[in-house]
Amino acid sequence: MTDNLAGVAAPAGVVVTPVTAARRGRRQPRRLLGFIIPVLVLVAWQLAWDWQLRPRTILPSPHEVLSAADAYFFGARSEAGLSGVVYFKGAGWDHLATSITRCGEAWAIAVVVGLLLGLGLGLSPWVADLLDPFSNALRAVPLFAWLPLASVWYGINPTSGRILIFIGALWPVVVATTDGVARVPAGQIEAARMLGTPRSRLWRRVYLPSALPEIVTGLRLSLTLAWTCVIIAELGGTTTGVGAMMTSAREAGATEQIIVGIFVFALVGYAADRILRLAARPFISWSVT
Amino acid sequence: MAKGVCKSFGALKVLDGIDLEVTAGRTMALLGPSGCGKSTLLRVLAGFEAFDAGTVTVDGDPVTGPSPTRGMVAQSDTLFPWLTVGKNIGFGPRERGEGDAAATVSDLLGATGLSEFADTLPRHLSGGMRQRAAIAQVLANKPPLLLLDEPFGALDAQTRLRMHEWVRGLLAARPTTTVLVTHDVDEALLLGDQLGLLSARPAKIVSLRKVPFGAERGRHTLVEPAFVSLKASVLDEVLGSS
Repeated sequence: MTDNLAGVAAPAGVVVTPVTAARRGRRQPRRLLGFIIPVLVLVAWQLAWDWQLRPRTILPSPHEVLSAADAYFFGARSEAGLSGVVYFKGAGWDHLATSITRCGEAWAIAVVVGLLLGLGLGLSPWVADLLDPFSNALRAVPLFAWLPLASVWYGINPTSGRILIFIGALWPVVVATTDGVARVPAGQIEAARMLGTPRSRLWRRVYLPSALPEIVTGLRLSLTLAWTCVIIAELGGTTTGVGAMMTSAREAGATEQIIVGIFVFALVGYAADRILRLAARPFISWSVT
Repeated sequence: MAKGVCKSFGALKVLDGIDLEVTAGRTMALLGPSGCGKSTLLRVLAGFEAFDAGTVTVDGDPVTGPSPTRGMVAQSDTLFPWLTVGKNIGFGPRERGEGDAAATVSDLLGATGLSEFADTLPRHLSGGMRQRAAIAQVLANKPPLLLLDEPFGALDAQTRLRMHEWVRGLLAARPTTTVLVTHDVDEALLLGDQLGLLSARPAKIVSLRKVPFGAERGRHTLVEPAFVSLKASVLDEVLGSS
């Protein structure tokens, strides 16, 4: 059976489902749709500033925020060298690199631990019986509840922050991996065993590839959570990082700098998610997502 | 190969002393009413289900678990959706340490008419093509025993008939001892060299007969008087036993 739907020619014998064809056809318009709301928000923001709906000290104009961002990333650095001072001008790239490194290190550890824990919980009833109640109880603890304990144990510093990022990033990976592995169809396991895969290799040959789409979803959620935890990690005890800059800007009443920080978090978070999706695409392209 | 095989799920007795012997290189079609235990019997032969009593052997070796020596194809295909058709077919040889088995894969792609789809993912194939690929996947291991569990049950009538003709030709070219379970009398008579009728649950073999048609069977066979007469007789027996 040969179909030709939405202008997509299929080779003889290949069935192009209407769903697949429709997805292909709608791709470009969907991308354009994504720009509408940001543009509307920008226009509303500019109008709110023009009409002074809020005092200009707490609602800077888009242009002021753009200038602050320009100074943050491309301004001449002031190297006064004062201890405990968060520098703004020209410090953007350093702050960004610091925040990304903090987040990346803690996230990478969370991914490794989360995958191992998820595979254990999903593959071994013994491990599930042993760890499931404990891990589910820990998962229910709000992230902010760990902050006082981490501060007491490690002080208010980046180490406490990394621990929070790790905890925040861990559970989405654990839950996605456990569920993904548990949902592998029994027929795939039996097929692999019948075709000669020993039990010891099943996790690599069947469980992992079959569960990969769900695991990737968990990784994406985990990365977003890790990145949002950076602001908590940089609330105090450090003068570097985008979060530290925002905390300092709040104390100085520099709203435009706070908004620059929000844009940086949003853009980097979005870019990180896109990169992760692109990197994972070759491995999960078989699943309809 | 099966002698006195019994199997229960809790209090529910499913197989009741099954005795089965399949001539090497021939196809045994097992026909029985829905829910009689046909699939359970095949899963026992494949090593997926433990049995309570009796013995199951293939070429003299006792069946204790799944093995590449017994290839099973079920109604829902066993292809791995993340592998291309070619890699699915080569999965077994690779797992058994035979490398990419390029010659075997190429040969089976040709035999299944899927050569141009070697790099295609299974989800892009039609149901019939997926079942052909699934059969090729198990044949790549050259199993002494092929088990077909209503493999064409999900296909439409025309595709099913084409598949019957294709399997007939495939097994004629590569003689493989095969057990087919089905509730479709046409399928059993088109593909089987021997026909076993199963009773209603708990299943036991109530009759064994030879299928008196030659290797050349196809759509023309369906209208031959001998076929129609045998089909009526088999139907009477099946419906009588259910």
